[in-house]
Amino acid sequence: MSKTLNRRDFIKTTSATTIGVATIANGITLTTFAGTNKTPVTNEKRWGMLIDTNKLSEIDIDGMVSACKKEQGWGSEVHSTGNQKPGWIKKLKVKDKATGKVSNLALMCQHCEEPPCVDVCPTNASMKREDGIVLVDKHLCIGCRYCMMACPYDARSFVHETLSNQKEHMPRGKGTVESCTMCVHKIDKGEVPACVTSVNSDAVIFGDLYDASSKINQTLKTIQSAQIRADLNLNTGVRYSGL
Amino acid sequence: MNRLLVVFLSLLVGSVFAHTNEHANLGEQASSIKTSGKVFHESVSIIRKMHPEFLRHKRDKTLRQGVRTDEYSLKGCVLCHANKNKTNNQYHSVDKKGQFCSDCHEQVGVSLDCFSCHRTIPKEGSL
Repeated sequence: MSKTLNRRDFIKTTSATTIGVATIANGITLTTFAGTNKTPVTNEKRWGMLIDTNKLSEIDIDGMVSACKKEQGWGSEVHSTGNQKPGWIKKLKVKDKATGKVSNLALMCQHCEEPPCVDVCPTNASMKREDGIVLVDKHLCIGCRYCMMACPYDARSFVHETLSNQKEHMPRGKGTVESCTMCVHKIDKGEVPACVTSVNSDAVIFGDLYDASSKINQTLKTIQSAQIRADLNLNTGVRYSGL
Repeated sequence: MNRLLVVFLSLLVGSVFAHTNEHANLGEQASSIKTSGKVFHESVSIIRKMHPEFLRHKRDKTLRQGVRTDEYSLKGCVLCHANKNKTNNQYHSVDKKGQFCSDCHEQVGVSLDCFSCHRTIPKEGSL
């Protein structure tokens, strides 16, 4: 790979450098703010959550729901009625018919590895980020709601009315589908989802499923946990224990 | 005939000069940046012509790849170009009539659909 510098190459590199310097000099007064995440996310991480239904009380779940509402700005829709109302995270009561054991679940988008919502989307709006977070690209969403029908967890909702005063980090608008984003705006800043921070105990653990030193990875190795509708082989990012 | 031609030409020339380089409603922070002598957009003509492409490129990078820089961020546009109502100290929405975005968009007859989802005023706490 030895390469001698000929006249043509020399002119090329020097002119490139000159242009580079000129651009810097031109933009020297450019006012910029410090950004956060500058590099694209990779599949070296997979974000997940472990919810311990034994430790999680009903009050905790209500707290998670209201924390989600507050963070993402949903739940104050006035014209939507009944099941038109959005529900990014829901309180669900499940009862074992044989034993009568009742467990309370906080159910939201399970952030599947093989998301059915992404499979059915005709416009590529329903998408999975490299780090496993399933999102709706509302720029492309045409509001067909196929994803809502495909989701086995009923995790998505449709915005039925004109909205205003949305959260800066969470654009929401009429005619598009929305769901739990796992607080992606917070994760990209190195923070933890709002519902996780709302729970005081360690009933909800958030972290990188692939990182062997993370608390969620270590806990999943030691205790028994389950995926809801594991029979569908979706490999969910949200896991439950104590079911 | 000649008279008509003169009228037509003067209208043509007039319309060219009527398009000044000044924006009547720049927004609070943007005006203060401008008066302080700092340059935010390297070229006003480039940002005027290319801002839809910049925003479109940025939105895909942010949403799909998690790249969250402030460059060409719509939040940034709104933050600098929003005007405050002097009487009640509340921000005007940037897409409302006479405000920064709608001013040009109405003039050129291009509807903008950013703000059916995106927040039209800077976030709470930046008042």
